[in-house]
Amino acid sequence: MFADGLFILFTVFAVVGAAGLVLFKHPMNGAMSFVVTLIALAGLYALLNAKLIFAIQLIVYAGAIMSLIIFIIMFLNIQEEDLPAEEGRFKYLIGGVIVVAPVGMLLTKAVNSLPGSEATIAGAGFGGVKEVGVKLFTEWLLPFEIVSILLLVSLVGAVVLAGKRGTNK
Amino acid sequence: MIQSYLTVSVILFCLGIVGVISRRNVFTVFMSIELMLNAANLSFVALARLHESMDGHVLALMVMAVAAAEAALALAVVILLHKHKGKLDTNVFSLLKG
Repeated sequence: MFADGLFILFTVFAVVGAAGLVLFKHPMNGAMSFVVTLIALAGLYALLNAKLIFAIQLIVYAGAIMSLIIFIIMFLNIQEEDLPAEEGRFKYLIGGVIVVAPVGMLLTKAVNSLPGSEATIAGAGFGGVKEVGVKLFTEWLLPFEIVSILLLVSLVGAVVLAGKRGTNK
Repeated sequence: MIQSYLTVSVILFCLGIVGVISRRNVFTVFMSIELMLNAANLSFVALARLHESMDGHVLALMVMAVAAAEAALALAVVILLHKHKGKLDTNVFSLLKG
């Protein structure tokens, strides 16, 4: 089926991008491969009928947050010699995989024991802007306001931390 | 169907944990944390599709907002630490060790 093919394609892109993020030495290469993961995840959201989340994933995550990270990486002008040496990187990676593999297997087993879910047809307005918006502004109003305060606090905090114009550093 | 999406989420989350515990470059560690947030988002959206309720989507939006706030603050801290120490190694950033 077409949707299954798309699912496999997006999954392969997401996992390969994530593996690239973990394996690349230079953070710029890692950021580029992480963008691939984010775009593949947006495709997975689209396959799950989450239209609004699909758009926001592309605009906010792959657009705004990743361009902020890449901007900072370029701003610091990282050369090869600035990077941490990480001699035993692959040793640590193998160790990390050995530590995490049982957790992953346990989680996979738990996930696969969930009650059966055949491919149902989602309702007409499922995941659209209107439906999510109504939910957001009725049942989730208080968390929404708290998130707005959080964004304001992080804005002020980032300016205070990175600005530091008054002190003579 | 939903199980396969959740399995992808588990794989991405485990890759994020491996990145956090085995790398020392502060940017890679930071992006691995973002990867874990994304894996959690994928499981939220998949379970919202399973139950045909929109709460998972709203929760995914909240996670994205928190990730944006975290990105702004964390990158400011990284710039500050880079100014002080001139390094990007998480082993060097041990000011709180006492």
